[in-house]
Amino acid sequence: MIYLVIAYAFAVAVLGGYLVWSLRQLRLLESKRPER
Amino acid sequence: MNRYEKAAAAAVALMVLAAGAIFLFAPTDALQGPVQRIFYLHVSSAIAAYGCFAVVLLGGAIYLRSENLAADRLARAGAVVGLVFTTVCLVMGMLWAKPIWGAFWTWDARLTSTLVLWIIYAGYLLVRRLAEPGRQAARFAAVVGIFGFVDVPVVHFSVTWWRTVHPGPVIVNDALPPEMLATFLFTMACTLALAAVMIAIRYRLETLADGPVPEPAKVVAAVGSRDAEPVR
Repeated sequence: MIYLVIAYAFAVAVLGGYLVWSLRQLRLLESKRPER
Repeated sequence: MNRYEKAAAAAVALMVLAAGAIFLFAPTDALQGPVQRIFYLHVSSAIAAYGCFAVVLLGGAIYLRSENLAADRLARAGAVVGLVFTTVCLVMGMLWAKPIWGAFWTWDARLTSTLVLWIIYAGYLLVRRLAEPGRQAARFAAVVGIFGFVDVPVVHFSVTWWRTVHPGPVIVNDALPPEMLATFLFTMACTLALAAVMIAIRYRLETLADGPVPEPAKVVAAVGSRDAEPVR
């Protein structure tokens, strides 16, 4: 059971972490982009 | 909330539904017990990674043919997201292997070829990071991406080509009861949707990082001037 919990916790951390990080990067780069 | 954040929220909602199916709908495996539930996301991540690497192959081939910058960006996006899903697949597999095989890792054909796949695309991204950005780096990376894809069918068919500890195909062999099969197919669809959203976000990030594409007239003017900025 412990391996099941660790496996899904890892997947959530990696997939969720990457998604949140990329959305934050996107906000940052969009805000730096000069207005047209 | 912009459209990328809305798409990400929708993908997360789908993954929550998939988790509901995995933990509440799918029956517990009689032989392996609850740990078998790792199967649903482990295999779905592998299929999502295959899809991402197919995007790298396609983007690389289009770039080599037409030097289309959008195709190169798509290939870069596919490589990053594919590597994320391969990492999830490998680590979840190791955590499933420990209680079932008694070891986290064995140098079995499926595991080894998957690790090689991870190394190939990590190498692809290293090439992109270390090489001077431009035409040469993009062409070299496209070649790595195209040849790297050769490992995808090797990973997939390794369980039938060689004698391995890793179980053979269960989906095509009708080895899953209907509830497990339905849970797997639903999880796979949700994971593919998540991968597509991640690629779209990464593609946008790559576009913004590349900066505006110079207009042909400006390029000609810049090349003609002595203090011209190098054009990427």
